[in-house]
Amino acid sequence: MAPLPTADLTTLHRADGSATYTHLSHTIIGSVNGPIEVQRRDELPSSATLEVNIRPAGGVGTPRERHLETLVHDTLRSVVLVEKIPRTLVQVTLQVRSLPEEESGGADSSTTASSLTLLPHLLHTSLLALLSASIPLRTTLTSTVVAIPRDGQGMLVSPTANELLRRRPMRSIHVFAFDGEGKLLLNESEGEFGVEEWDEACEMAEEVCCKGDGGVGLGEGMDVDGEGQAQSLEAWLRGVVGRKVEVEQRWRVAT
Amino acid sequence: MPREAEISVNERAFILQALQEDIRLDGRAFDAFRPLELSFGDEYGVADVQFGKTRVIARISVDVTAPLPERKFDGIFQIVTEFSPMASPAFEVGRPTDAEVILARILEKTIRRSNALDTESLCIIAGLKCFALRADVHIIDHDGGLIDASCVAVMAALQHFRRPDVIVEGEKATILSIREREPIPLSILHQPLCVTFSYFEEGEIFLVDANLAEEQVRQGEVIISMNKHGEICQVAKYGGATIDALALLNCTNVALQKVKEFSKTIQKRLEEDAKKRDAGGLMAELSAENAR
Amino acid sequence: MSVSLTIVLPGDEIPSSALPKPQNQKKALTLGPGLRHIPPGTITTTIAGALVTDNKKNAAWIEYNSGRYLPSTNDLIIATVNTSSGEAFNCFITPNTPLATLPHLAFEGATKKTRPQLPPNALVYARVANPGRDSIPELTCVDASGKGDGLGPLKGGMVFKISLGMARRLLAGRKKGEVVVLEGLSEKVGFEVAIGRNGYLWVDGGNVKTTLAVGRAVQEVDEQALGEKGQRKVVERVLKSL
Repeated sequence: MAPLPTADLTTLHRADGSATYTHLSHTIIGSVNGPIEVQRRDELPSSATLEVNIRPAGGVGTPRERHLETLVHDTLRSVVLVEKIPRTLVQVTLQVRSLPEEESGGADSSTTASSLTLLPHLLHTSLLALLSASIPLRTTLTSTVVAIPRDGQGMLVSPTANELLRRRPMRSIHVFAFDGEGKLLLNESEGEFGVEEWDEACEMAEEVCCKGDGGVGLGEGMDVDGEGQAQSLEAWLRGVVGRKVEVEQRWRVAT
Repeated sequence: MPREAEISVNERAFILQALQEDIRLDGRAFDAFRPLELSFGDEYGVADVQFGKTRVIARISVDVTAPLPERKFDGIFQIVTEFSPMASPAFEVGRPTDAEVILARILEKTIRRSNALDTESLCIIAGLKCFALRADVHIIDHDGGLIDASCVAVMAALQHFRRPDVIVEGEKATILSIREREPIPLSILHQPLCVTFSYFEEGEIFLVDANLAEEQVRQGEVIISMNKHGEICQVAKYGGATIDALALLNCTNVALQKVKEFSKTIQKRLEEDAKKRDAGGLMAELSAENAR
Repeated sequence: MSVSLTIVLPGDEIPSSALPKPQNQKKALTLGPGLRHIPPGTITTTIAGALVTDNKKNAAWIEYNSGRYLPSTNDLIIATVNTSSGEAFNCFITPNTPLATLPHLAFEGATKKTRPQLPPNALVYARVANPGRDSIPELTCVDASGKGDGLGPLKGGMVFKISLGMARRLLAGRKKGEVVVLEGLSEKVGFEVAIGRNGYLWVDGGNVKTTLAVGRAVQEVDEQALGEKGQRKVVERVLKSL
């Protein structure tokens, strides 16, 4: 299985919340400003306005970024408790810092497999930045990519850019995102696939995102940095937040 | 309407009073920069520059297009600066602020018009094909000194970048990907860098590398761009307040010393990065193969 | 307060076993920042942080130290005047948020004739009268009996940015917040301070050096999350340098 992402919270000074996230050679810097004053024309009477800006590593935003922005925006709307901070603006900016060599390929950019492979990284970064900004959230989210090769054999979960390149073209690519309770938040699929294949892909993604969850209750003395980590993304998220809280509360135990 | 918060009257008075007493808020000397931190990414042509809390990332990318009809023998080089709300909620996408326009202009004059990059070397087939180089400047964190940091970032990224090799057979050009053949460094003619001076008290006090609070209080700024040989590429003075002509001369002397320091740091980091990439001598082996 | 931390993520359900056990059964449970009640009986978190409970007050809340300041009634804050309209000053509580109103007459002893004249970007130490969730936020510089009690315009001095958690610690006082740095410094040098919950510390030490030394000492304690011993060391070093 692919290694877990690495993330640092509150890496920027100016923004209200921020996160630097690295996974499979993708590095994204995310920042959140909010809740701040919203422009009259964007104001919503009973909920907060979300604004998502995705900035590619090189060049200005293209329709590809606009499309990803819409997907991230719509997913975050069901994660942020927008009704708790009405008539305000929460501004999410995601700056792609580096891409795998295979995707940034310069002159031969034909290798860019699909814009979907970037989506889970964008979702994770924006969630971490929202956590860092202490924006009220309904739940958390975890997300992953499943790719089905042409021969339909051996689905690739959270594949590296190199794996995608070697086995291209893919017959279909699916992105899944789940909330903290393991409910499906987002699914984007492209390519050709059957219902059974989709079912299987969804199950595999669920496994990666929320496996070993549910048992983690408050009463059971959660060990966030324990050795026997259930390697799900959910557990990983808890670890990242645990480190953040520990740093913040250092003074309680400091001498 | 998002707007930049102005500095309070108390802070303004305090900063000016402190400067009168030779004190800067962070304890630096008047002619001291914050420590320069420079790192490179895994890819070629990405430079991450930090001056204290200010952070700028420059990224070079390349494409192949037709050259401009009036400049058949030149490649294309473009520097793009676009602020995002990441650095401040007051920065709106698609609506450049004054600071953004000034930054873009200074980088243009310093790097592009001084011919820091040999654009002729980017030409593949005269009048038909050339490389179009693009430098994207991303402002990640803003605590003053954006111009100086951006300039260091772009120059470092240019020196770090490798463009793909190309084979020309008559009218046909084949671009070889990075995996096929060792890519080639750009031809850099000289290395201009910017030093911004902020002046106070009718030009009685000059500061280098002002942070955001100091920038908000200053009367005006003088931006000097030069290379390590002391050749000035550009001088700009913004702000209406007058300054003594001799003070400018003094600024150029300080600027030269700073530019030399930065050049040295960039060189050092580039060498460290090259060593890291060359682990195991794999690159040397590959380039030997290329030579054959 | 126990040292062991229960770390929570947004959406975590707080089981009844983790809620405070009140000595007085009649007292209603109070939910502080970061918790919400979903009827009938579910309590979940909305932010990431550490769960803290207080049995005496029968209260539970989430401790966190990042993000933007959100005004809450009776918080003491340092506001920046933006403009003055007919009857009130319009002030920033934090940058880029809607302006809060501070009536001209909400100062100690202010009448139509003696009301304070504050220029744009002047600083005021004020109390949040209405956090303005559904309207315009309101500030005041007097309590119910018309006393200022230290609130009002801040003249001179300098403001320093501190974290929201540090501001809370400073305001909580010595016992709870375990901050001794200001007390230690005040044994040797004289200065005035005002602590704003919105993450600002105003210091006036009479001269540049003292003001800067006090402000930077607090910032250092904040950034390095120093305990009592660490703070004493900072105090010693700062006093020596003055």
